Amino acid sequence: MEKYGVAIIGAGIVGASLFSELARKGVKVVMLEKSADVSDGSTKANSGIVHAGYDPIPGTLKAKFNIRGSQIYPSMCQRLGVGICQCGTLVVANESGREALEQLLHRGIENGVSGLRIIEREELHEMEPNLADNIDIALFAPTGAVISPYLVCIALAEEGVVNGGVAKLNFEVNRIEKVNDSYILGNGTEQVEADFVINCAGVNANTINAMVGAPTFDTHYVKGEYLLLDKSQNGFVNRPIFPLPTKAGKGILATPTLHGNIMLGPTAIPCEPNDTTVDAEGIAIIKEKIKLSVKEPNYKKVIKLFAGVRVVSGDDFVIDKLPNSHFYYTVGICSPGLTAAPAIAEYLCEKLVADGMEVSVHKFVPRTPYVTTNDLSKKQLKELIKKDASFGKIVCRCEKITEGEVVEALNSPLHPTTVDGIKRRMRPTMGRCQGGFCLPKLIKIMSRELDVPEEEITLHGNKSEILAKDKD
Amino acid sequence: MICTQVLIIGGGPGGLAAAHGVASVGANCLILERDNRLGGILNQCIHNGFGLHRFNEELTGPEYAHRWIDIISTNPHINAKLNCFVTEIQRTQDGFLTTAMSADGLLEVESKAVILTTGCRERAAGSILLGGTRPSGIYTAGCAQKFINIEGKSVGKKAAILGSGDIGLIMARRLICEGTEVVGIYEIMPASGGLARNITQCVRDFNIPLHLSTTVTRVAGRDRLEGIFVAPVNEKLQPVYELEKFVPCDTLLLSVGLLPENEILSKFGLEWTPATNSFAVDEFFMTDCEGLFLAGNVLHVNDLVDNVSSEGEFAGTSAGRYALGELSKGAERVEIGHDEHIKYTAPKYIHLDHEGTAQISFRVSKNYKKVIIKAFSGGKEVSRKPCPAVTAGEMQTLIIDKSKLIDGLYLEVEVL
Repeated sequence: MEKYGVAIIGAGIVGASLFSELARKGVKVVMLEKSADVSDGSTKANSGIVHAGYDPIPGTLKAKFNIRGSQIYPSMCQRLGVGICQCGTLVVANESGREALEQLLHRGIENGVSGLRIIEREELHEMEPNLADNIDIALFAPTGAVISPYLVCIALAEEGVVNGGVAKLNFEVNRIEKVNDSYILGNGTEQVEADFVINCAGVNANTINAMVGAPTFDTHYVKGEYLLLDKSQNGFVNRPIFPLPTKAGKGILATPTLHGNIMLGPTAIPCEPNDTTVDAEGIAIIKEKIKLSVKEPNYKKVIKLFAGVRVVSGDDFVIDKLPNSHFYYTVGICSPGLTAAPAIAEYLCEKLVADGMEVSVHKFVPRTPYVTTNDLSKKQLKELIKKDASFGKIVCRCEKITEGEVVEALNSPLHPTTVDGIKRRMRPTMGRCQGGFCLPKLIKIMSRELDVPEEEITLHGNKSEILAKDKD
Repeated sequence: MICTQVLIIGGGPGGLAAAHGVASVGANCLILERDNRLGGILNQCIHNGFGLHRFNEELTGPEYAHRWIDIISTNPHINAKLNCFVTEIQRTQDGFLTTAMSADGLLEVESKAVILTTGCRERAAGSILLGGTRPSGIYTAGCAQKFINIEGKSVGKKAAILGSGDIGLIMARRLICEGTEVVGIYEIMPASGGLARNITQCVRDFNIPLHLSTTVTRVAGRDRLEGIFVAPVNEKLQPVYELEKFVPCDTLLLSVGLLPENEILSKFGLEWTPATNSFAVDEFFMTDCEGLFLAGNVLHVNDLVDNVSSEGEFAGTSAGRYALGELSKGAERVEIGHDEHIKYTAPKYIHLDHEGTAQISFRVSKNYKKVIIKAFSGGKEVSRKPCPAVTAGEMQTLIIDKSKLIDGLYLEVEVL
């Protein structure tokens, strides 16, 4: 049985951030993920925004880690070689919301957010021509940014791997046993041993805590549904546009994605832990609420509906340890969890060091960013195709992804095996035809590279095969 | 750098006929095809019914494509390159500079004229706001067709089909022939939008239940599709959720409309026509951008490939003449008017140059029993076509002798 210093349960943004943090410190770390890929839970389906930090109540963990996280992100994205769009964010309101906006401004200043300012009507509508007519003022947070949440998570996990960490996918921890001074974690067929266990299991955090007798928390689950619009709508808004926040959350926003789509959502509907369905009701709510902030979006250009589930526990994050043990847990990492994750990882790492975790001298190995032909100049592209002709063969016509890039994604450090895994890394099937044209080609390449029959290629692991097995 | 008089982007039925058209007026052309063979979507349409108008025969898709490939392959004016994906079209001082990606590197083509014959794509689940989960087993009908007919794969055991356009109907029959059970076809409209012959030959002959005024409200299943929820719709096409019921199946095919694949032209600032989801053209199939032509499904979605070919051929002759400097210029361009029985016309504009003929395609807004289609200019009737029955699904065409045009052109449907 392989012995590790630290075992992280869950490869969402919190788990992956910690995984990278520890691997870069030379810690012998393993990350155990029940799904076929990292970033398969809440991390893959949220607004993809690095929040500036004006929203959380001062003094909370949410405030502390939000601010620190938003400071970490720009340099972290640079280190990882993934994109970040530092476009700032806007909270918009009409005149009657001025007081509430000023409160947000002061809360932000108290939390230590820099650059916040109130923007008046004329300047505002110049910045964002598609705001609703009755919008008069806004709080502008220049440190707010847009990222691709799954890409950041994948990159962090890859960084962990290239720095010596081990990521085990399709490893659903169903038993944790304390033996002497270490823990044995099993999935029914395989076991790993670790000195420290960190529960980063997101919506399943309580289940994991219960395995070691750690406290379980009063949690509830909130579904956020989204509509994704075609890239032709790029420019509808230039940065995330929030309404005034309410008790229920940050409200339904319109935002550009890192790759130039427009996203509308999320709803905030109480749900079961794994209910990621999109309902007609949710779509109606988005269409109704979005009017408060922006002009009518072109719904004919919707290309995808999706939903994510956030786990909420009280008003703040829960980050703690089981007393007199080496078991740590993170519970209720809802918004601004994506922003906070690198800061939570930093904090946990300090705690673990203080708790006796072994670190060693380690020479940092940078992650190799993917070659994306879309970002190359004509000259660079010509040279690349000359070197490897597969970079001249377009597979996905909507996003212009070549065979070379698909193969590159398949050979990336985590070795994704699913169509969604390739999609999140390289974007084939992510565009306006949603795979209608490229799916047959993509599956053929995957089958060839992975050396498995096409019938065994899945959309997202488990029993999600795309083709039927026996053809009669 | 490759130089050609006319560049044709897309080697499907529109592009093949366009090449023939270009060559017929003595100009030369190059076809850039993104796939590894010419013929486009025809290659996966192994059913018959193609070519009745063009060749007076019922051909399969690949056969129809090959008729055209045979026609052009020996023509010295026509070249074609496969596996070339056009990424950019730029306007230059005296024409166009087009960039394409291929395994041989980046290809740059200089041409006087460009004809876009890139066809259309299918609407996917997102574009019809189909809710529920996101399992595997949901395909657009054409994607399933490619898996089955080109790749020799099976897409599922028990399928439902949303939408009763021609592709949906044809795929229902195809699935049954491949051993997949078809639990039903669901159509939100009160009538199928498919051709009458397909309703008979694909649905009735195979006893496939066709549920009209019914839609799929959401899908279920976490990994693979486990079933769909269906509900009848009211007169506003809104589902009646009280009557929603679950239909178990592991496959859902979507045949919910086609969209011209013309995004590559978005930066040209061309006039957009919402009724066709594409750009406006004149009777030469030329857009607002001089030398840039559109034909076939990238211009408006056709129901018969024969129409696509005739449009392509016409666009080809126009583009060829344009490249040779023979297309007359300076004549007044007027918008083709029409009454409320007509949804749109393609072309949208016509020139009062009094030379030759123009082919006007259009669709009526609903099904009519018996009508006369009439064209007027200067208050005088210039063309008429009595029709025993016209449906919203079937494209109509009218040939106009341009020498008869006085001021404009106005189309009317007289309902008898």
